[in-house]
Amino acid sequence: MKIASLSPDQAPPIGVPLRFFAVAPVFLVLASLLLTMGDGNPFANTHTPALLAATHCITLGFMAMIMLGAIQQVVPVLIGSQIPASRLVAWLTMLPLIAGALLLTSGFVLGRPALLDLSWVLLGLAFLVFISASLFSLARATAKNPTRTAILLSILSLAGAVALGMLLARGYAVGLAIPYDRLAAAHISLALGGGVMLLIIGVSYQVVPMFQLTPNYPKWLTASLAPAIFAALLLSLMPLLFDPAPYWAGYLTEIIFWLLTSCFAVVTLKLQSQRRRRVPDATLSFFRLGMFALLAAALFSLASLLSPAYGDHLRTLSVLTFLLGFSMSVIQGMLYKIIPFLVWFHLFRGGASAVKAGIPNMKEIIPERWMWWHLWLNGGTLLAALLATWWDIAAWLVTLGLLLQGILLGYAIFTGISVYRITLKRIEQLAT
Amino acid sequence: MKTITEFMTADHTACDDEFAHAEEAALANNWSKAETAFNKFRDDMAHHFKMEEEVLFPALKSAGGPAGPVHVMLMEHAQIKELLKQMAEAVAQKNAKSYGGLSETLLIVLQQHNHKEENILYAIADEILAQERDALLERMQAV
Repeated sequence: MKIASLSPDQAPPIGVPLRFFAVAPVFLVLASLLLTMGDGNPFANTHTPALLAATHCITLGFMAMIMLGAIQQVVPVLIGSQIPASRLVAWLTMLPLIAGALLLTSGFVLGRPALLDLSWVLLGLAFLVFISASLFSLARATAKNPTRTAILLSILSLAGAVALGMLLARGYAVGLAIPYDRLAAAHISLALGGGVMLLIIGVSYQVVPMFQLTPNYPKWLTASLAPAIFAALLLSLMPLLFDPAPYWAGYLTEIIFWLLTSCFAVVTLKLQSQRRRRVPDATLSFFRLGMFALLAAALFSLASLLSPAYGDHLRTLSVLTFLLGFSMSVIQGMLYKIIPFLVWFHLFRGGASAVKAGIPNMKEIIPERWMWWHLWLNGGTLLAALLATWWDIAAWLVTLGLLLQGILLGYAIFTGISVYRITLKRIEQLAT
Repeated sequence: MKTITEFMTADHTACDDEFAHAEEAALANNWSKAETAFNKFRDDMAHHFKMEEEVLFPALKSAGGPAGPVHVMLMEHAQIKELLKQMAEAVAQKNAKSYGGLSETLLIVLQQHNHKEENILYAIADEILAQERDALLERMQAV
């Protein structure tokens, strides 16, 4: 029977997720600074060291940092199974991830192979600890729901993406003779199409109905979507195994992947339109922006198949829309719910003296108007990104947008943490 | 007759509707409507808790059910009752900002709580109280 999943102390200490969340915005600021370091428009050529460095600042330092922190918080609550040695796992994932991301980006920018060669070891350690701890926790989980399946497949994709990333970094560092382009393509597919996409899908199954009182996702979708996307990703790895791979295989898997993800976006938007809670909500708007961006990313990618002449340009647009539109909106939208709730939840544990001291409600922890400002910044950055590949001014607007988003999010998280600390002190004073 | 899970889940959904109505009216500063909707929501929540605390949980306990999950549910009931009390004060003071922040907090506490009950606790109840289920449901409705 599923008793284990109702123990009172499922959640890790509040410091575990908050540390990850507090570090992440620094990398957003760093990414924007890196974009200013190259020559000319940083988006004109996708292979420049500055753009590679900035991209990894966003994907590793920002997105992976938040996702790793969030999974360590969310898996125990949504799946009902604790992460073993949660504090140790948190430190052993966060510190090497920070160091590895910094070394990798500086290795790219400075062109120093020795830094790249050290970075993959540290990043490998961070992800190895995280992946083994979360797989252990998922294997023990008593609830066998679609969220668990999606998160499991997301972590397996992440493992593949990390392995390929380590190989690529080692390759660049010592000049291995490996097929860089094909390995990089597979690395990106597994990281974004698997690691990010499947995690967002799995978490959405739970939080979309929960936050807005929408109907549940239909059973046909939750039962098959994540496994189907994962299967499409595995098929897309065929070019790694067969050389030359049949040209239609790549086309077909890409079409299948984008149709499946579009299906997720359309169903999510439809459920949200049927929500019973009709009041304005920043997280809802972040989510909707994200879903429209996902549809746009799908359109750009499918269009690139139809018009090879503009293929590279459309592909860049697809990746930018996926990263800066879909992933960042959804991740940040969720953070603006998770952080205030965690602060409230952990303060309430102070019991009677906490109630007497007065626990701030969620909207007193991070001011709501900041979230709306951030939504506009996120949308503005995305719009600028759509023009950035051919209009230099837009490229600088993306850089500025990332900088402002990093500062605003960092300040919001810092505010949340200080509200927690101040209230906790008040509660402790009352209790003594 | 319905299962315990079906019956109680339907009651959760009804309470959710009332929650949404009350929140919408309060944020629109329509206080006569907000007060009516909030009172209905609070009363129905109280009734739901009574069904659990006076009938379902004791029945689970005497059938040898697990004490841990029931204890967690009772702790969460206490959180929810405290938030409802503060929301009643916000309604009395016609304070939309305070109501909005409290209802945002309550929503997440409540939805997590419901999710755990619907997926875990009620399933346990349906399993170990299968024989007396119909009589139990009648007693719960009579509370």
